[in-house]
Amino acid sequence: MRKKTWVLCSVIVLSIIFLFVTAYSQDNIKYVQDPAFTKRMRPAAVFNHDEHNENASIDDCSTCHHFYKDKVKVENETSEDMKCSECHKIDKDPVPLINKYHLRCKGCHEQEKAGPLMCSECHVK
Amino acid sequence: MHDIYDFVSGPMVWVSLIIFAAGCIYRFISMALLAKEKDPFLYNYMSPYHALRSIFHWLTPFGSENMRKNPVFTIVAFSFHICVVIAPLFLFAHIILIKQSWNVSWWFISDTMADIMTLIVIASCVFFLIRRIVRPEVKFLTSASDYIILAMVAAPFITGFWTYHQFAGCRIMGIIHILSGEILLAAIPFTRLSHMIFFPISRGYIGSEFGAIRHAKDW
Ligand code: HEC
Ligand code: HEC
Ligand code: HEC
Ligand code: HEC
Ligand code: HEM
Repeated sequence: MRKKTWVLCSVIVLSIIFLFVTAYSQDNIKYVQDPAFTKRMRPAAVFNHDEHNENASIDDCSTCHHFYKDKVKVENETSEDMKCSECHKIDKDPVPLINKYHLRCKGCHEQEKAGPLMCSECHVK
Repeated sequence: MHDIYDFVSGPMVWVSLIIFAAGCIYRFISMALLAKEKDPFLYNYMSPYHALRSIFHWLTPFGSENMRKNPVFTIVAFSFHICVVIAPLFLFAHIILIKQSWNVSWWFISDTMADIMTLIVIASCVFFLIRRIVRPEVKFLTSASDYIILAMVAAPFITGFWTYHQFAGCRIMGIIHILSGEILLAAIPFTRLSHMIFFPISRGYIGSEFGAIRHAKDW
């Protein structure tokens, strides 16, 4: 009986910690810093994940976390468990991956006429 | 802010590029026609061997008598010209903007290297300015337009450095930077800066005349 309570208690505590840690790490994305860029040239890009998507009213996660299979975009499927660089790999030249980020982020800001456009507005020192 | 940025980084880029390219072609053709009218023999003098020989000597540091006489000026002038061309053409920020707009890209220099080259250009501009004020023989030949041209060349480098290092007011500086770069580009064919296109022709002509006709060196 005592052993059972002990196990139950630890499972509850552990799952609370687990939930807290995962929730915290997701809510706490304040900037994007892709580890694929080994030799960094700029400060990380500011990006308050949840607040940003709320302010910009983006409901569809696949706007950014799109998923492709055999080079065809799969609708209603997302890839938020992957880094962009897992698919957009760096092959010596970092320019294509940088360009993918800029097309996605700055491209929408240009379209919407809202959100930062200049290097210094995203890569804040 | 969006409208201003879109305007200076969109249509204005095209306007300045077209003025630059069309201006160069126009100036080149009108100069060639003028030469034909005033001095038709000029075309007979042109000797590719002697022309290239002269250009090569003048592009070599200390390759001419004049340069050996003014070593400080020569060193400043050469480093200035190398940096003023290489820095903007191979700057990472410029490459990434061109990649985004036209999907072409090329080799780029490191940001540290760009910083050093930018500082060399700014320091050289200060050197040229002081020389113009201090040396009587240069001051005598200086008009207001020389100061304006010097400022036009220095402006994109000062504002670019400012933007990159995110000093106070760097967003406005960024807009001024883009504008000043476009003004400089558009002004090249119509000011003294056109020596960029005419240098090989005038040097080649003088080299031909000295080399092939007078059998003398012009360096
Ligand atoms: C504006 C683009 C954008 C939108 C829309 C967006 N995300 Fe993200 N998300 C990002 C970026 C950028 C990252 C950081 C990725 C990285 O580090 O590689 C990220 C990271 C994450 C992570 C963490 C992944 C990790 O590696 O830590 C999760 C989870 C996530 N997003 C979920 C979502 C969900 C759920 C939605 C839809 C409600 C969503 N995102 C919408 C851009 C976006
Ligand atoms: C599951 C793999 C995968 C992931 C993860 C992924 N992409 Fe993509 N993405 C692709 C494929 C495949 C294409 C189409 C081929 C191409 O253009 O490279 C593409 C195209 C793009 C394009 C150009 C076409 C368009 O839709 O506008 C952009 C921009 C882009 N991705 C940005 C991103 C960003 C930013 C992230 C991270 C938030 C990301 N991608 C994550 C696979 C992926
Ligand atoms: C689908 C459109 C869209 C995409 C994609 C997008 N943004 Fe935004 N972003 C906006 C809009 C709209 C705003 C303005 C929100 C406001 O001020 O109300 C904004 C604002 C911002 C701001 C200002 C502060 C804030 O959080 O409101 C930052 C920083 C920013 N975006 C960074 C990014 C980054 C980094 C990416 C790419 C990972 C990105 N954005 C992708 C639409 C988008
Ligand atoms: C809308 C926001 C935004 C703007 C504007 C922007 N970037 Fe980025 N940039 C990003 C994001 C997001 C990434 C990918 C995340 C990261 O920093 O690792 C990125 C990545 C990079 C990287 C690769 C990472 C590194 O440090 O080596 C470089 C370099 C870069 N950007 C340079 C620039 C330059 C130069 C400009 C201006 C011409 C610029 N960016 C404008 C959002 C932006
Ligand atoms: C002849 C024209 C131009 C010259 C000589 C020039 C030169 C420079 C220089 C010297 C820097 C700073 C480099 C450093 O200190 O590291 C710079 C940065 C920059 N330039 Fe230019 N530039 C020109 C035109 C333009 C144009 C037309 C645009 C945009 C359409 C532009 C966009 C930028 C941007 C965005 C930065 C960088 C800021 C950063 O990295 O944060 N430039 N430029």
